[in-house]
Amino acid sequence: MAKNEISNQVRRLRFENGEMTQQQLADKAGVTRQTIIAIEASKYAPSLPLAFKIARTFNVPIESVFQFEGQKPASFGPVQ
Amino acid sequence: MNRAQKISLTIVITFSLGLLLGIILIVMRLFDLGVPKIAFLFPVFIAGSGGIVSLIICKKDKGPITFDERDKLIEKNTNLAGFGAVYFYVILMSFLPIGILGEEGSIPVTWCPALLIGAGFCQAFAQSMAILIQYGWRDKDGEE
Repeated sequence: MAKNEISNQVRRLRFENGEMTQQQLADKAGVTRQTIIAIEASKYAPSLPLAFKIARTFNVPIESVFQFEGQKPASFGPVQ
Repeated sequence: MNRAQKISLTIVITFSLGLLLGIILIVMRLFDLGVPKIAFLFPVFIAGSGGIVSLIICKKDKGPITFDERDKLIEKNTNLAGFGAVYFYVILMSFLPIGILGEEGSIPVTWCPALLIGAGFCQAFAQSMAILIQYGWRDKDGEE
């Protein structure tokens, strides 16, 4: 699958959330680890429900995780 | 590398090996090197064995979730690639005998089941290639 115009902060957010592993995030979002790897590499654009699930896992709004074509990530940190 | 990738890689390797052997046998037969017809079953066996053996050997993927929305999308594209390849194969096999033998030419009826087996191989190969292109050829399972 070709690279898409949606960038993401999944990798950064994982490390900011207690160095969460890809497997842990995959289990929480209900997908395989390969899908998380593909999302992080921007090789796969997740569906809207999956994008919301990932954002919910990090307790941040969806705009903080996914950005469209050069849009800056929203400045929300993880909710303590 | 997930189970589908392992099976696909095995199919691509064994199919390519079988195809290469088949071409060698055809060339040897063209040069009258005494290749019996039964020898052509060997590359077919090689090509076909990969899929069957890998289905038995490759274990199911670990983890609570083994199939998600991305896998579903890849499966859909894979089926489309397989259908397209078979469609192209049928068109090619319908016109190729006319091109080679001419309008008055004829082919033995025993070729019909052989063409059907060929369609099966064509589909399996196209689907395996589609899986490997979409998931990737390499093992990228290193935990980060």
